[in-house]
Amino acid sequence: MAKDTLGEFEHQVLLGVLRLGGEAYSVPLVLELEERTGREVAQAAVFIALRRLEAKGLLTSRLDDHAVGETGRVRRYFKLTRAALPRLRETRRALLRLWEGVDVTLDGAR
Amino acid sequence: MRRRGASRAARLRPPLAVRWMLRLLLRREERRAVVGELEELFELRRERDGERAARAWLRRQWAQYPPRLLAARLRPAAPPVPDLNRTSGRRAWRSGEPMDNLWRDLRHSLRSLGRTPGLTATIVATVGLGIGATTTMWSAVHAVLVAPLPYADPGALVRIYTDSPPNVFPLSVADYLALEAQQTRFEQVAGAASATMTFTRGEVAERIPGRMVTGSYFSLLGIRPLRGRLLGPEDDAPGAEPVAVVGHGFALRYLEGADAALGRTVRLNGTDHRVVGVLPARVGPLEDGRDFFVPARWETPPRRGPFFILALGRLALGVDRAAAAEELRAINRRIFPLWQDGYKDERASWAAAGLKDQVVGDAGTRLALALGAVGLVLLIASTNAANLLIARAAHRRRELTLRGALGATRGRLVRHLLAESALLAAGAALVGLGLAAGGVRLLAAAGADYIPRAHEIGLSGPVLAFLAAATLGSGLLFGLIPALGGARSRFESGLGAGGRGATATAGTRRLRRALVAAQFAVATPLLIASALLLTSLGRLQRVDPGFRPEAVLTAALLLPAERYSDPAAVRAFWERARSGVEALPGVAGVAFADGRPPNGVNNVNNFDLEDDPTPRGESEPSTPWVSVSPRYFALMGIPLLAGRNFDPRDAADDAPEVVIVDRAWADRFFPGQEVLGRRLHEGGSPGWTTVVGVVGAVKYLGLDQPDAGTVYWPMAQRPAEHPIETITARFMYLVARTTVEPVTVLPAIRRVVRDLDPELPLTQVATMEELLADSLEVPRLLSALVAAFAAAALLLSVVGVYGVMSYFVQQHTREIGIRLALGGPPRAVRRMVVGHGMRVVGLGVALGLVAALAFTRLLSSLLFEVQATDARAFAGVAAAMLAVALAACLLPARRAAGVDPATTLRAE
Repeated sequence: MAKDTLGEFEHQVLLGVLRLGGEAYSVPLVLELEERTGREVAQAAVFIALRRLEAKGLLTSRLDDHAVGETGRVRRYFKLTRAALPRLRETRRALLRLWEGVDVTLDGAR
Repeated sequence: MRRRGASRAARLRPPLAVRWMLRLLLRREERRAVVGELEELFELRRERDGERAARAWLRRQWAQYPPRLLAARLRPAAPPVPDLNRTSGRRAWRSGEPMDNLWRDLRHSLRSLGRTPGLTATIVATVGLGIGATTTMWSAVHAVLVAPLPYADPGALVRIYTDSPPNVFPLSVADYLALEAQQTRFEQVAGAASATMTFTRGEVAERIPGRMVTGSYFSLLGIRPLRGRLLGPEDDAPGAEPVAVVGHGFALRYLEGADAALGRTVRLNGTDHRVVGVLPARVGPLEDGRDFFVPARWETPPRRGPFFILALGRLALGVDRAAAAEELRAINRRIFPLWQDGYKDERASWAAAGLKDQVVGDAGTRLALALGAVGLVLLIASTNAANLLIARAAHRRRELTLRGALGATRGRLVRHLLAESALLAAGAALVGLGLAAGGVRLLAAAGADYIPRAHEIGLSGPVLAFLAAATLGSGLLFGLIPALGGARSRFESGLGAGGRGATATAGTRRLRRALVAAQFAVATPLLIASALLLTSLGRLQRVDPGFRPEAVLTAALLLPAERYSDPAAVRAFWERARSGVEALPGVAGVAFADGRPPNGVNNVNNFDLEDDPTPRGESEPSTPWVSVSPRYFALMGIPLLAGRNFDPRDAADDAPEVVIVDRAWADRFFPGQEVLGRRLHEGGSPGWTTVVGVVGAVKYLGLDQPDAGTVYWPMAQRPAEHPIETITARFMYLVARTTVEPVTVLPAIRRVVRDLDPELPLTQVATMEELLADSLEVPRLLSALVAAFAAAALLLSVVGVYGVMSYFVQQHTREIGIRLALGGPPRAVRRMVVGHGMRVVGLGVALGLVAALAFTRLLSSLLFEVQATDARAFAGVAAAMLAVALAACLLPARRAAGVDPATTLRAE
């Protein structure tokens, strides 16, 4: 499983966690992704992607029920693991290699 | 979620379906986190976009959970973004472990079935009933028709009989002795004759059934004793010690068990027999119900007849039945000249047939009919279940569509629906097993009077295998049809319809209508079969038996040979019995006869008419031959139409032999001519017998048989000795007409007989009305059985059409509303709905009528005075089915006509 490639959305979610300082729960993550991608993001999709990334060993999670004491709500924080950064790096490199020589064409076409 | 939060914290309960889904798929903490964080996001949205937009957003968010969670659950390794390109079924199987999937499917199905308990119960009960009844019937069919006879190498066993078309009868002593001496194609032959003997224990005498068998009988059948030994050729030798083999039940009842029985003596017909062996508890059909077996010591008789021996043969290795039959015919030709004087029937020959056919007789047709009928009910019940499940699947289309859209493969959806069906089928199988267990026991116990080999019926391996097969077949039928139909609609607009529109696709509707049509097509032949059988039964019940059956009591008496060897003593006994019983209060008169209508003839005899002699080499005519005392006709209410009754003249030692014939006999042999004074040779005897009277026709061969004539001969002329004991002067039925309820005089009659001879048992006690009713028992049972199945079939079909039409109305509420709103008359709406339903029913009934035409012919042999294609039965059933279906369609139609256009349209 660990050698599975990252899905596009998983990639985005992982980057989102990284942008939020390496640890985040779904609310800021949804807002961050919506802001960066300009699209409405389903919390369910984020939630499932987080779970899947956890299953792949790229995130760990903990429940935090003190965070919002009086409301009685619970938050689930996800944190990058050691394996996450090399994996992101690898994915980035792979994508960049794919982009090599074509971004100009795209820009030109625009 | 349980605690109420601060006022500014939003508390938004997810919709019910989402709550269920979350509860199903997430751990508690996970669930709390999801809900809490979504609420947080909602609050942020509300501040930014306002309450309305936030709520709309939240609804969208919730709606995404079930499908995404399901997708994640079903395909854990697949990318999280729903992939609308379908994954192949094979891949789905490989990715999750199959057992895991199966377990999940079953668990899921159990839950979803629990949500519709009424539907689940209906399917389990109706299909279970069908499976149970079908399995019960199969247990009988298997035991009687399929299972080999419980004898050694049963395939090689044949019954050898006399074939004189159209008659078939057993062999005679002369025949059997010749067969035994001359045959070469059989490893062994054996003869057996049914015998009822008087068993005496101290003061008590009782008539018990048994067989006289040749020494080869047990070894031919390969029967082994439970204790002691069986009979062998040495027991047949003249002067050998009288021995007997007894049945297990007899040993238990009278001889203190199988072990104690050996060596004891039993008194049969006044002779002590030493018990040398006991049969096991489970025996074959030829031994079942027989208490004793004694050696048959047959010696060469003075003439060829009578014919009473059941001859058995075991084909020698490598000899087929045709070769054996050829030799049988050759032997028969060889011995024919020896007996030609008294037996002219040159066409009569010997033939051999499988022993099983002999044992099963005509019970096969009835059993096959019952199995067929109940199988059709199971088919209809399964179709009904399919229909109900399709309706359910249509309601669940949103769920299925969602799952389909999320990439659940068609195979997976089918699997889920099949898992539901498997659970339903398993439930039905359990119900069926319970019913079959009871039914089989009932059949084995109560069926003995109607079915041969009934004691072999049981829940054997093949019966359970049949139950499994019936369950599988039924489950596949009601599982596959809705699954394929339901899964087909996967990409249709179920998702976008706001969740409300569970509109069935045209395909589903067509499928449901086809199923209802099929139900009616299957039910129609069943109802027609039932109508034919009931008509036939009605005709049988209306048959005039030819006598007045009310208040007539009958009972058999057989005077044992050793104490009544003197003909004068026999005559004296009958006379004393008559006067003794006649003197009883409540008895109007007493007569004697050796046969009882409607199907208790003791003797069928051949004869040769003086004025119409049978050409050499042809079969002589034969009719029932009943011996009676002079009072019989008056007592039974049989009119004397011409000539004279029997009288004391006929009892004189040198009296000429005379007979009285019935009207049917006169019409058959001397139509329109004088019958009185005609003479005949009776049964090969050289002397002339003269017809002296004509009486009304009476049924002796069964109510369903045509009147073929009966000959009565005087009781006074019965022979003192005859190879068949019941033809001697020592056997008679006592016939008493009473002025009170017949059974109330029975104890007094028993006292009279006991005073005359304490060792003499009174047997076969029955009133004439009972005998008539008994003779209709089998057709009555069969009609009742088939009628019950037909009623079940009709009920299920009607439920089917009602369900489909209710659904139709529900689906078309909008269209109907618009019609009504535009001023369409409710009558037109009713007509539309009814017309729609009746087209389906009409098609089914029409197909059913065609099927019935093809299949009811198989019933012909069971029908009396009704054609298998009886137009009235066909038309009546068709009309009745259409009428009932019309009623079932009218209810939804009235509901449709009552639709309020305003409400309907507003709801849209």
